[in-house]
Amino acid sequence: MSDTSPPADTPYRATPWASILRSLEFRMLGLALLLAVILSFSSEHFLTERNIFNILDQSVVIGIVAVGMTFVILTGGIDLSVGAVFGLTGIILAQALQIMPIPLAIPLGIAAGAGIGLFSGVLIAVFGLAPFVVTLGVMAIGRSLSFIFSGQRSISGLPPDLDAIVYSSFLGIPANVLFLIGLYLVAWGYLTYTKGGRTIYAIGSNHEAAKAAGLSVMFYSILPYVISGALAAVAVTFSLAQVMSADPLAGNGLELDAIAAVVIGGASLYGGRGSIIGTLLGVLIMVMIRNGLNLMGVSPFWQGTAIGSIIIIALLAERLINWRSART
Amino acid sequence: MLQSQTHQGQIVQAEPLLIARGVSKSFGKTQALRDAALTMRPGEVTGLLGANGAGKSTLSRIVSGHIQRSGGDISFDGAPLMLSSTRDALRQGIALVAQETSLAPDLSVLENIFLPDLATPGRLSFRSMRQKANALLSGLGHEHVLPLDAEVRTLSAAQRQLVEIAKALALDARLVIFDEPTASLSATEVDRLFDIMARLREGGRALGFVSHRLEEVFAITDRVTILREGQVVAEDVATGTLTQNDIIQHMVGRDIGTIYAARHMAPEAVGEIVFEVRGLSAMPWVRDMSFSVKAGEILGLGGLVGAGRSEAMEAIWGLRARQSGEILVRGSSVRLKKPADAVRAGLGFVAEDRRAQNIIPDLSVRENLMIAQMGQHRGFGRGYRKRAEKVASLIADLGLPADRLDQSLLNYSGGMQQKIIIARWLLTEPDILILDEPTKGVDIGTRASIYRLLQKAADSGLAVIVISSDFEELLGIAERVVVVSDGLTIADLPTARLSEEKLTLLAAPRTSTARNQALLTALTEDHGGDAFWVLLDGEDTICLAQAGAQLAGMIPGEAAMMSETSIPKAIQKRADVFIPDRAGQTLLTQMTDKRGHDLGWIGLTLPDGATLPDPETIRARVARLIQSDEETRP
Repeated sequence: MSDTSPPADTPYRATPWASILRSLEFRMLGLALLLAVILSFSSEHFLTERNIFNILDQSVVIGIVAVGMTFVILTGGIDLSVGAVFGLTGIILAQALQIMPIPLAIPLGIAAGAGIGLFSGVLIAVFGLAPFVVTLGVMAIGRSLSFIFSGQRSISGLPPDLDAIVYSSFLGIPANVLFLIGLYLVAWGYLTYTKGGRTIYAIGSNHEAAKAAGLSVMFYSILPYVISGALAAVAVTFSLAQVMSADPLAGNGLELDAIAAVVIGGASLYGGRGSIIGTLLGVLIMVMIRNGLNLMGVSPFWQGTAIGSIIIIALLAERLINWRSART
Repeated sequence: MLQSQTHQGQIVQAEPLLIARGVSKSFGKTQALRDAALTMRPGEVTGLLGANGAGKSTLSRIVSGHIQRSGGDISFDGAPLMLSSTRDALRQGIALVAQETSLAPDLSVLENIFLPDLATPGRLSFRSMRQKANALLSGLGHEHVLPLDAEVRTLSAAQRQLVEIAKALALDARLVIFDEPTASLSATEVDRLFDIMARLREGGRALGFVSHRLEEVFAITDRVTILREGQVVAEDVATGTLTQNDIIQHMVGRDIGTIYAARHMAPEAVGEIVFEVRGLSAMPWVRDMSFSVKAGEILGLGGLVGAGRSEAMEAIWGLRARQSGEILVRGSSVRLKKPADAVRAGLGFVAEDRRAQNIIPDLSVRENLMIAQMGQHRGFGRGYRKRAEKVASLIADLGLPADRLDQSLLNYSGGMQQKIIIARWLLTEPDILILDEPTKGVDIGTRASIYRLLQKAADSGLAVIVISSDFEELLGIAERVVVVSDGLTIADLPTARLSEEKLTLLAAPRTSTARNQALLTALTEDHGGDAFWVLLDGEDTICLAQAGAQLAGMIPGEAAMMSETSIPKAIQKRADVFIPDRAGQTLLTQMTDKRGHDLGWIGLTLPDGATLPDPETIRARVARLIQSDEETRP
């Protein structure tokens, strides 16, 4: 054995409070709050109730997709197809709404998303293809099909009742934000307290050991892709209800935003490490930057530079902190 | 440069090549080394010993430039040694032959040997590299065992190590440290390695040997340095002045007594057969294996590395495809297609490679402990509450502080990690527990507690199967040993009938015993009757191979008392002449290798009335066989 591990069977004692302070999520929360403070000084409009709901509203689509992406990345995979699935299922939903009632069309769209995820998941887990390559292929197919199914134009004329899923509210909180909060609670509970959730972590951390321990490695390797596909369809449902039209190009680049949110939230692209809370913070940080730059009147073309820099600086800071704690 | 060397037959105490004093090293908050020291001389093998976590590997890695020391002085060849990288160390002539090899698996043997050269600018001359490699390997006496064009990934562990050694020599390293080089080698391969080390020592190099295995320390080292908890406790002591017990005491700081607590159990305490494997094959490793284990019994699966034992277990566990074979749990046949099936059939399996197959690094100790239980659990939740009591009692057994369960498993030593992995399976309350090399890389103190854990489990009615290449361990812990060689189960013997020597002979690869089998067949063809190869020890006999008619009552792979055979008188006398028994006339001739080791006896039993050949011709044939065997041995 290599002796780089500590010698004695006595790792130092850590109180729960100390371990929270040392956790990555805590540091990301700090970053989010710091951003909020800076932005509230930069723009008087930032810290208004209206703008806070605006931020939450803008977090819905990327937030929903990022949950699916978290599941996938925790297993050590990646799903590049979410943007294309978002676009394609949007078209499918819009077309379905022309011929069937809303309560039937929405489940159909979600089922289509889940089906695409199942296709990717089976190719990856059963046939052992690389997630990057499979979902890259599905991304190309999905985008192409959404152009075909839409006739290369956006579909409008959706039933007006559809906006109820966004604009109805409970206790003053819009339905889509409530859904987002509920989704994060369920996802957090699932990943933390269920067999399936822990299996997903175990697969990402050490696939072989998870298998040898008798976990259902195959099932839980496929499931995250199904969830990711289904959630992309859920996200497009909310988006459609807001803009009341389906664009075949919708969701272009969404996969990168989702991956960025998960990575800012502290997940490892090798799998096994990350959390739903981290992802939520990652989503909020990204949306706040966009929102703040808008409020300050900065050209939207600078947004990419800002978000890219935040990702790199966050990861670099994380690495430096780890190095220092490994040395001292 | 070297002030003096070991000359033929005359030992000269050379000036030290390397002197390290007061070396310290800390990783984060842990102090891996406090006050370590090491002295190495040209023409000597220095053993660097210590329990797991004592800092042996850390010290070797500091000397070889893999990591930097936090404090202390090291001088090499009379000048202070400051290394910032392994490349620095190699330039100075210091190399480490690491446990986990640092080879590039996709490159050829040749490219790997000259890997450091690939970093130098300019064109490479493959022809001169090839010549140099051949010269190096023939200097080691091993040019024919290493194909230069083979990809390293296709090599055996022993061959990879040879590449590492050649790589060190290609740089003309004057100081080579071997970090647990024998961990994954078979007995024959260890012999070969020691042969190479002896040659390097004669060539005036300073060698370091890091190991847990005390027999090997006595076999190869001239002097030893012993570390305990990062501090040197015995420095530069001549090996000859120490006993095994001295070393153990230094290593663990106390007398640990016998590691193998004798398990006194009456035969009737052992229950019924709970697990049986019939005709298992998983090509190309497992050809035909059958064995069974009873409740409350510890069964050893002995054999050399590569004999197919681990592969058989992985096949049973559903990690490897099976071609044929039946698996019976409590008498009924079960279909195990994936590990989850095996877990639910009541099996537990501690796989060989702790890092790759057992530990889930990002999960806490608690989750690592509970993971098999979670696999067995059939609900939506984690099912943690179901075993809360059992967890509490196991944690107490392991000596794990309950308030540290939520930390990373990687914070613990290898020994504790292994105990946690074993506990992971005990938690599922299996009927059968299979452990593949459970004490690999585990220090002596922890080994003893693992043995106690297993014995306690067996006492409670568990059937335990232990795979080990350490024959001493097998004999110490198991009641019965099934010997595996070349994917075949070739013997099933109670431990009381076995010794390390007998196990070594039984476990020898069948390819090397094919010659003996051929001799037996030739003998029966020429003279008729019954020819056999048998180990004799007092009144005990173990038959290794047999040919011709069944006259003497020797059955391959089985042990018998002298009186149970048909040739008791011949066995009693063991004279090189034909001795009459009721089965006929029997001649027994002993085989010994050039070092005088007993290789067993060749026997020929001819029925009464047959013409007896001259015993001298038989003896000559046996002697010729051994001679030719040694000439072709690489």
